[in-house]
Amino acid sequence: MLPITQGLFGGGDMTSVVLNIVWMLLFFAVIITFNQRLQLYSYQRNVEKAVTRLEELATKSKEDAINSIKTFAPEGIDLRGNVSGFLEFFTIEPVSLDPFGVLKRLEHLLDIRRSRSVEFVSQIAPKATKTERENIEVILEAATAVNYIYKVVRHFLLLGKKTKSLMIFVQLDMQLPMIMKQAEAYYAAQTTFTAGKPIGDGLGPLVASKLMLGSPQKRIAEDIIYSEIEIEKRKVIVLKAEGPGGVVGKPGEAVRELVEGLEGKVSRIIMIDAASKLEGENTGEVVEGVGAAIGDPGPEKYKIEEVAVKYKIPIDAIVCKMGLEEALTTIKKEIVEASDLIVERVKKIIAERTKEGDTVIVAGIGNTMGVGQ
Amino acid sequence: MMPKTQKRNTMISIILTLIAFVLFISISIFEELAEMSMMIMIIGVVLLASSWAVYFLTGKPAPKEEVENVITVIACRSCGQLEERSFAQGDYIFKDMGQCKKCSGSSFIKSIYSVSPKKE
Repeated sequence: MLPITQGLFGGGDMTSVVLNIVWMLLFFAVIITFNQRLQLYSYQRNVEKAVTRLEELATKSKEDAINSIKTFAPEGIDLRGNVSGFLEFFTIEPVSLDPFGVLKRLEHLLDIRRSRSVEFVSQIAPKATKTERENIEVILEAATAVNYIYKVVRHFLLLGKKTKSLMIFVQLDMQLPMIMKQAEAYYAAQTTFTAGKPIGDGLGPLVASKLMLGSPQKRIAEDIIYSEIEIEKRKVIVLKAEGPGGVVGKPGEAVRELVEGLEGKVSRIIMIDAASKLEGENTGEVVEGVGAAIGDPGPEKYKIEEVAVKYKIPIDAIVCKMGLEEALTTIKKEIVEASDLIVERVKKIIAERTKEGDTVIVAGIGNTMGVGQ
Repeated sequence: MMPKTQKRNTMISIILTLIAFVLFISISIFEELAEMSMMIMIIGVVLLASSWAVYFLTGKPAPKEEVENVITVIACRSCGQLEERSFAQGDYIFKDMGQCKKCSGSSFIKSIYSVSPKKE
């Protein structure tokens, strides 16, 4: 039997020694010369695979959006062209170099965006009811988000290919798991929106609905309704977005109007919302804290904080933990069960931290899709 | 469960690796092959590279979309009778559902939620 080295490197004559040297030189030359190229290829391949999946999601989400609008569209309209055009719709953020009044400017832009969206939906789906129109709006929003993610990732892939920059691919590859998770969540959300099922983010409105059930409701602010109920001899004003369409409304505006209407005679504001959980936390975990529990871009949160500071009203926050996908897709059993727990928690807070005859505001924050009142 | 194509690719990859391994071992065991050691080694390396390519480059299939199980719970305001059924388009929480089947009281949708499908 030959020793393994002799077997591998040939019979030991001059030719095989030369061949061995050539082999080693070739090996090192390849490793030294193409090392970065090989790495680049490996990262690029990962990104290419992700872009293929994102393209698939973007195409599917566009098709799904068109199919869900088709039944409400007027005859002869170029639905595909209209929807494709709307998916490219963008909003330019206000300049923040001079931060004075930035939230007012942001709110103005958000209002314009909303009105454009409402206008577009009534134009392409005139046969739809109010609830259906609101659901179409969120369907288009989800499709826009998926389309945007796809285009941004594709942009960096092409840029990386063009510049052959390893750094672009490394950075992109490292962020891909989070990006893909987000894109998959938005795509899954679109399917839920199409069916009009309640979503995890609807926890706040669900709690508010449970509290206000059977009481007369009044409209206040954009898409917001409120009811006056009595808990432990305290006047409780419960507010939420008007369901069952997919709207969030302007709860900040509503809280401000209510507090100003009562000349600040509100002893507590209790806010209920869904909160993103950290890895390791359980879905449906109910946690309490202080501050305005609302995940809007800024204007609504600011209004609540401003009016609370003006009249020195304490703000309690009760949140239910859930992941991004859970917040955007059909509400889970654990979250529905948590809503009952929160109703009890709200009653306990009112009984323990306010006096008889006090006025309390309870705001259920979130998208009220699939949650009536 | 692993899909058919992925299973096949994994098997091919394993077989190629095994052949390469057998070739490497055989040149150190059989003296007759000593003259062809370089050739066999190159073939072995090519087989290993092919095995790697088959396993990694063919890619994993897209994750299978789970079928969501959404339940609608209908409750009666009078007798508290609960009824569960699959979600139907148009359902929403607190929607009036007409008369209760048991007591003719008014019924409504008490809850809608999704349950994770049982893992096999």
